[in-house]
Amino acid sequence: MSLEAPDTTETDEVPERTPDELEALLGDLVIDRDDHLNAPGFVIRPDAVQETLSRLKSEAGYDHLSLVTAQEYENRYESIYHLKKFDDPTQEVSVVVPADKDDPVSESGDAVFRTADWHEREAYDLIGIEYDDHPDLRRILLPETWQGHPLSMDYDKDRPQIATLPEHANPLEDHHHDSESDTMFLNIGPHHPATHGVLHLKTILDGEQVIDVEPDIGYLHRCEEQMAQSGTYRHQIMPYPDRWDYISAGLLNEWAYARAAEDLADIEVPEYAQVIRTMGAEMCRIAAHMLALATFALDVNGDFTATFMYAINDRERVQDLLEDLTGQRLMFNYFRLGGVVWDLPEPRGEFFSKTRDFLDQLPGSVEEYHDLVTANEIFQMRTIDTGILPPEVAKNYGATGPVARGSGVDYDLRRDDPYGYYDELEWDVVTEDGCDNYSRLLVRMREVEESAKIIEQCIDLLEDWPEEERNIQANVPRTLRPDDDTEIYRAVEAAKGELGIYMRADGTDKPARFKIRSPCFSNLQTLPEMANGEYIPDVIAALGSLDIVLGEVDR
Amino acid sequence: MIGLMKSMATTMKHALDGSTFTVEYPEDAPDVSPRFRGVHKFSQERCIWCRQCENVCPNDTIQIVQDDQRNGEQYNLHIGQCIYCRLCEEVCPVDAILLTQNFEFTADSKDEFVYNKEQLKNVPWYKGIDPLESRNPDRGAWIGEGDGEVDYQ
Amino acid sequence: MGTVQLFPEFISETLGLSGVLGDVVGSLVAAAVVGNIVLAFTGVAGPWAKRKITAAFTDRIAVNRIGPFGLLIIPAAAVQLLAKELIVPEGVDRPTWDLAPIVLPASALLGFSVIPMGRLGPVNLQIADPEVGLALVFAFASIASVSLVMAGYASNNKYSMLGGLRAVAQNLAYEIPLIVTAMSVVIFAGTLQMSGIVAAQTDVLFSVGGFDVPTWYAFVNPFAFVLFLTANMAEIGRNPFDIPEAPTEIVAGYQTEYSSAYFVLFYLGEFVHVFLGGAILAVTFLGGASGPGPESIGFLWFVVKIWGFFLFTQWARSALPRVRIDQLIEIGWKGMLVLSFANLVLTAVIVGVIA
Repeated sequence: MSLEAPDTTETDEVPERTPDELEALLGDLVIDRDDHLNAPGFVIRPDAVQETLSRLKSEAGYDHLSLVTAQEYENRYESIYHLKKFDDPTQEVSVVVPADKDDPVSESGDAVFRTADWHEREAYDLIGIEYDDHPDLRRILLPETWQGHPLSMDYDKDRPQIATLPEHANPLEDHHHDSESDTMFLNIGPHHPATHGVLHLKTILDGEQVIDVEPDIGYLHRCEEQMAQSGTYRHQIMPYPDRWDYISAGLLNEWAYARAAEDLADIEVPEYAQVIRTMGAEMCRIAAHMLALATFALDVNGDFTATFMYAINDRERVQDLLEDLTGQRLMFNYFRLGGVVWDLPEPRGEFFSKTRDFLDQLPGSVEEYHDLVTANEIFQMRTIDTGILPPEVAKNYGATGPVARGSGVDYDLRRDDPYGYYDELEWDVVTEDGCDNYSRLLVRMREVEESAKIIEQCIDLLEDWPEEERNIQANVPRTLRPDDDTEIYRAVEAAKGELGIYMRADGTDKPARFKIRSPCFSNLQTLPEMANGEYIPDVIAALGSLDIVLGEVDR
Repeated sequence: MIGLMKSMATTMKHALDGSTFTVEYPEDAPDVSPRFRGVHKFSQERCIWCRQCENVCPNDTIQIVQDDQRNGEQYNLHIGQCIYCRLCEEVCPVDAILLTQNFEFTADSKDEFVYNKEQLKNVPWYKGIDPLESRNPDRGAWIGEGDGEVDYQ
Repeated sequence: MGTVQLFPEFISETLGLSGVLGDVVGSLVAAAVVGNIVLAFTGVAGPWAKRKITAAFTDRIAVNRIGPFGLLIIPAAAVQLLAKELIVPEGVDRPTWDLAPIVLPASALLGFSVIPMGRLGPVNLQIADPEVGLALVFAFASIASVSLVMAGYASNNKYSMLGGLRAVAQNLAYEIPLIVTAMSVVIFAGTLQMSGIVAAQTDVLFSVGGFDVPTWYAFVNPFAFVLFLTANMAEIGRNPFDIPEAPTEIVAGYQTEYSSAYFVLFYLGEFVHVFLGGAILAVTFLGGASGPGPESIGFLWFVVKIWGFFLFTQWARSALPRVRIDQLIEIGWKGMLVLSFANLVLTAVIVGVIA
């Protein structure tokens, strides 16, 4: 629970409780066991969610509600709360809450973890479970007027979704003409220059100051989860993760699916492929962070800032490398279960030297960004001590990635829950203690340098890799059919934070439930905490510093 | 003030060195990597109508029509709907479908992007480069031997 | 400098007219010529120079397809902008909404009536040279904020409203330091007359290696120059003080709802305003139209100076972040105001003691 500077030895000291100890802790709250591949799972009564979560949080130290998901079975509904520890994410526990088939009601976990708010709204929206005590149980992704819950079993997808005119009546009309108050309601978005996509912020202003802001999402909902559920594990899902966070973080997203599916189907990935994956993923991270820097400069500097073009320029260089490696600039589709699709491009020497050239010029570029952006007094005035996100709040909302690390939360799955080749390489987790917009930017800029270190080491390894051991793919059956009713939740550190995939297999070659835990979704939820009381420009800056991608928020 | 000066100096440095990053497309068309995935090229001579590409396609972009002898009649591909994942090329056992590097295609309506086999055959190589060479070495890696029977759906 | 003939007098004399008729015709023709010169500047600046300059700062190429150096983009952009549909949103407050885009360029153009733009051959490009010229030009320039408020208020749009309010707050906060700093120049020159201020800057301050540095007030009092430059940037709403239209915050501020010809007028007005800002700066601190070479090419030096200022605004726009509205007001009232008064008092003391 400590927020101090990175200290890996400390994280190892978190006492791990055995599943039986946990069961004893929860006592009579537990009615059954339903273990997942990644964690012990306890089935509890639908009215004991808060009690269970708060016991696990306060007494066993599970302070990170990573994911809330829900699904419908033939005979019941089920909500699952995946808990982790910020200090050691390998310690996981799942809380399974069955709900009645005819009247699916279960208690909300919002009182214990604020992040449950949006996650439960999504579960309500898509599956149809109602959450008692939820502060604001409305649809979140679909329009208010939507009929039915699309991921429930009895959903009639042929039913026309017709919204009548009265339903379309301006719901804000009353606010509009409130003569009593001297506040102003302002819609920022969905079409606004600074919302980074189709995001709608319902803001209430007092002069220029924001007294309330509520993000309204769902404009870019593309049924990504359902699309994954209708694709085969082996081939058809992999092209789509690129399209969740489409800001060039494709390989990081692909890794999330690859990691979950490989663990589900018990596939070993050759070491050589892991090194290539690690290198490609870090290139994506640089590309993503460069865009984050570029757009943040756009938000703070104004729309003719040179920083934007310079950062895009650097991003292009990484994308050229990624194009050589994967064949595309954004939608890579490069990973395969059990490895990657292509070895490094021939001639290898040329690829290495191109990569090294990029790495060589990167410090100069970063220096330039520091001159342009972070050293600029006006920029500091604008970003330091604005958009404050205290670490406790960040944890409570399940914020991860640079957003959490900018608040001093030392949490990085690459180190804390190692995958790929990260644990063999020398690099550091970057944290900043400022908790403000400036720190979040600084974290990203420093992470670019760390990524460059990782790429450099990978290049060294790949260069010396013996030719006969260059195995890029494991032997994987053409059709994967994981055992019925196996469940897994696995996460990787994507550019924006913890990107997790929950999958339930039902014995066929397609997942029965595919849930994406999007880092942007959780991070965006913290916006009101940062923005309330600030000026409009600071809200825009805070939004920019969250670095959301609406494709991943809405999925 | 020093920070402000630094910012101004940095931008001026870029302005004065006179180099540009953007190019004058289309006169100065970019080189794309040999692995780049663009519009498909289809060869009816090679195709054995096994329909694996149709099956593997994640979003039903490929449509194959066969007669009752399982001879191929039509091969349609909606290049506007395609997500360019290259799975069709990967599964093809005879290299009958390939993704060229050609990314330049326009049409007045989406319907015109439904290419039939003739149109697919006539897709030009981008800058005359046949990408097969650069992709061939990895072909074996894709299928894998696996356990159990080979499953052609 | 009353000896030099003003532009309208030159015209009426050339045409052989005298009396009231001569005054009227001379003034109208002179105004038309000066107005068109300024509008030609903005015509070049808006669709072409601005893009080219920004592109240079951002490593891009920018307009180069039509005509030499892409210069024919200027008529093309004019046709394109004017050919667009003029959308009049429901609920706008007419005729305020229609007047606002006319007031803005008009106010800025009016300012040019007293600017001594220097000699071009035998012609002295100055329409009028009243004794209170400097006061007048500030008065004209500040009408612009009225136009912004009109636009912001009449548009029936919350973003426009916020932009209009920001414009007022900003102009109030910076007009005073601007004028107070200009007063220090007046103390030096001992006159409000524009030609007098220019004339006072023709002496030699000191010589470096045979090169005479003139007594431009930018050299005499660099501190006041920087203050004036900053306040001027804020006054004309350029980065880092472009908050009335800050696109990433309030879409386009007061001009959110304007399209087609009205938008062009706003656009034009802003550019004329930038050039007017440059002209005021040139007159008060950079020696007006003076420069090396014969006096008859003074106009060219004047053009160089105001384009230099334009270039500077574009440079700042590429490099500097925009300040926040509360910070802007704070800088204006707590920083600039104090500094400008300090500068004024110091100047007064120095001039008083030396004189």
